[in-house]
Amino acid sequence: MKRIVTAVLFASAFAGCTMVNSVALPARGTTAEPFVTAGDLAEPHEVIGLVQVTRTGVLLFGNLDVVGTDLEAGFKQALLPAIKEAGGDGAVRVRYQMTQYAPAARVIGAILFFIPLPSSVTITGQVVKLKGAAAAPVQ
Amino acid sequence: MRRALLSSLVLGLLGCSAVSKGSALSAVPSREPGMFVSTGGAPAPYVTLGFVQVRGYGVQVAGFADVGHATLDGPIRNALLAEAARMGGNGVIHVEFLDENPSTEIERAQAAANSIQNLASGRGGVEQKDRYVTVTGEVIRFEGAAR
Repeated sequence: MKRIVTAVLFASAFAGCTMVNSVALPARGTTAEPFVTAGDLAEPHEVIGLVQVTRTGVLLFGNLDVVGTDLEAGFKQALLPAIKEAGGDGAVRVRYQMTQYAPAARVIGAILFFIPLPSSVTITGQVVKLKGAAAAPVQ
Repeated sequence: MRRALLSSLVLGLLGCSAVSKGSALSAVPSREPGMFVSTGGAPAPYVTLGFVQVRGYGVQVAGFADVGHATLDGPIRNALLAEAARMGGNGVIHVEFLDENPSTEIERAQAAANSIQNLASGRGGVEQKDRYVTVTGEVIRFEGAAR
């Protein structure tokens, strides 16, 4: 019984962890940057093609993300440039996934610093170009 | 004969399914004040503020005691909405979720049996399993109050 209680207490101490990552993007129409949405688009548009961007790297000492493999880097340094390069105004039906380590894994990564933790972010979407009035340039 | 019976029993039990459940999200139209949350789109015009990914971590002890945040409700109700509010949003749409490694009933029973056996024999300890739930969503702000 004592072992079970110890196990539950030990697990409770390390299990209450939630990892949160986010990226804030400029609202559509407020800048010249491409827009991004996980949904569809009501306005008339032309589908230019599909895009997948992936950034891979390692977390040094369990924490240092030198290359940039989080949502911030994935969206701003990989997806938005890819949309521009394709000649699109934005991307729809975007899906994304990044590596998120639990704090305990990061601590182990810091202790075993000679074994960097692999990390990556992958974003997929459909690049679109607006048609007609919806395509008016942002001033 | 006994082996055949045992094999068929094991095969049958392996077919068990694992079910992860979460509570209801927002109705359309939403009567609740506060954050609108949906796995679909928004019922009113909005602007996209950004994107969030939340990964809840927990531990399953002895097959039955779940501690931590590896549930569908925990990451959605707490971390996802808190981050959306921090970003200035009043809604999260296109929510996607994945319980990465749910346990079937037979796996839970196995872990419990192993834990009891370990404790009874004095060798080994209580079985523990790391659990993860990942939730993603698009943070939005409604244009106007209507939704």
